Amino acid sequence: MIVSVTLEKSSFKKAPHRFEAGTPNIAGAIGLAAAIDYIERIGRAAIFEHDSQLAHYAVERFKELPGMHVLGPTEERGALVGFVMDAAHPHDLTTFADQYGLALRGGHHCNQPLMRRFGVSGTSRSSFYFYNTMEEIDRMIEILRAAVRFFS
Amino acid sequence: MTTEIEELYQEVILDHSRRPRNFGDLADAAVRVHGDNPACGDEIHLGVKFDGNGGLEDIKFTGRGCAISQASASLMTMKLKGKSRAEVMEMLRAFHDLVTEETNEAPKTLGDLRVMRGVRKFPQRVKCAMLAWRAVEQALELGAGEATISTEPA
Repeated sequence: MIVSVTLEKSSFKKAPHRFEAGTPNIAGAIGLAAAIDYIERIGRAAIFEHDSQLAHYAVERFKELPGMHVLGPTEERGALVGFVMDAAHPHDLTTFADQYGLALRGGHHCNQPLMRRFGVSGTSRSSFYFYNTMEEIDRMIEILRAAVRFFS
Repeated sequence: MTTEIEELYQEVILDHSRRPRNFGDLADAAVRVHGDNPACGDEIHLGVKFDGNGGLEDIKFTGRGCAISQASASLMTMKLKGKSRAEVMEMLRAFHDLVTEETNEAPKTLGDLRVMRGVRKFPQRVKCAMLAWRAVEQALELGAGEATISTEPA
C-alpha cells in the first residue's frame, strides 16, 4: 500500500502492509472456514471409515473381472485403487469409462519410477470420497465389464 | 453403447491395435526416429528407407501405447509405403485436419485412414493419433540418421 505518490517519487508503507494492496481474498477465507466446518461436522474418522469400506469393497469386486490386476497393498489402503486391465491400455479405458460417466484417472500419474517398479506403462485409478456409495462401485464394475467386452 | 465411443474405436482400429501391421525393426533403415508422448508414456520407434527419388520405399515401427497410437501408426505405415515425399507431406496435412477439424469433409485420398476421424471428438487423444505422423515428418526432414521427437515442447 502507498503512503504518497507524486510525479517525482512514491513512498510505501512498511512491510507487510506495502505488499497488501487491493482487496484481500475475504470470500476465500470465509469459504475455507465453511469447508472446514463441513468436514468437521461429518468427522474425519467417519470419512476415513467410509472411504476405507469403499476401497475394500472395490478391491473385492474387482476380483470378478477377467484380466484385472490391482496394484498396491490389499489390506491397508486409503480411498484409492490403482489397477491395470489386460483388455485395454489405461487411456483407452479412461476414455471409454468417461463416456459412461465414470471418471477414472489414467496414465503414469507423474510417477514413472513407480510404473517401472510395477513393470507397466501406466495404470487406471479409481478414487473415492465420503459422497460416493457402494452402488456407485457396483456401477463401476458394470462399466469395466463392458469395457472388457468392448476391447477384447 | 454411445456412438462417439464406437466412432472412435472402430473395428478396424481395434484390429490394428491388436495386430499392428509393419510392426518390427527395419534392418536397413536410413532414418530411425524415436517418438515420445511424455504426457501419457506412449512411444514409437519408426524406421524408414527411401527410394532413389526420396520417396518412402519401406517403413516399419515398434512401440507401445494406447490403441489409438498403435493403430494410427499401423494404418499410417500401410498408407505411406511407396509414396513420394510430396504425397507424404500432403497426407500428413490431410490427416492432421481429419483428426482436428470439426467441419470439413475427409479427403478421399486418405482412404482407410478416414476411420480415425472419430478422434476429433476427443481432443485429449489427438496427440495419440499424431505421434507416428510427427515421427515420419521428422524422418523426412532428417533424411538419414537418428532422432528423438516429443509431442510436448521441451
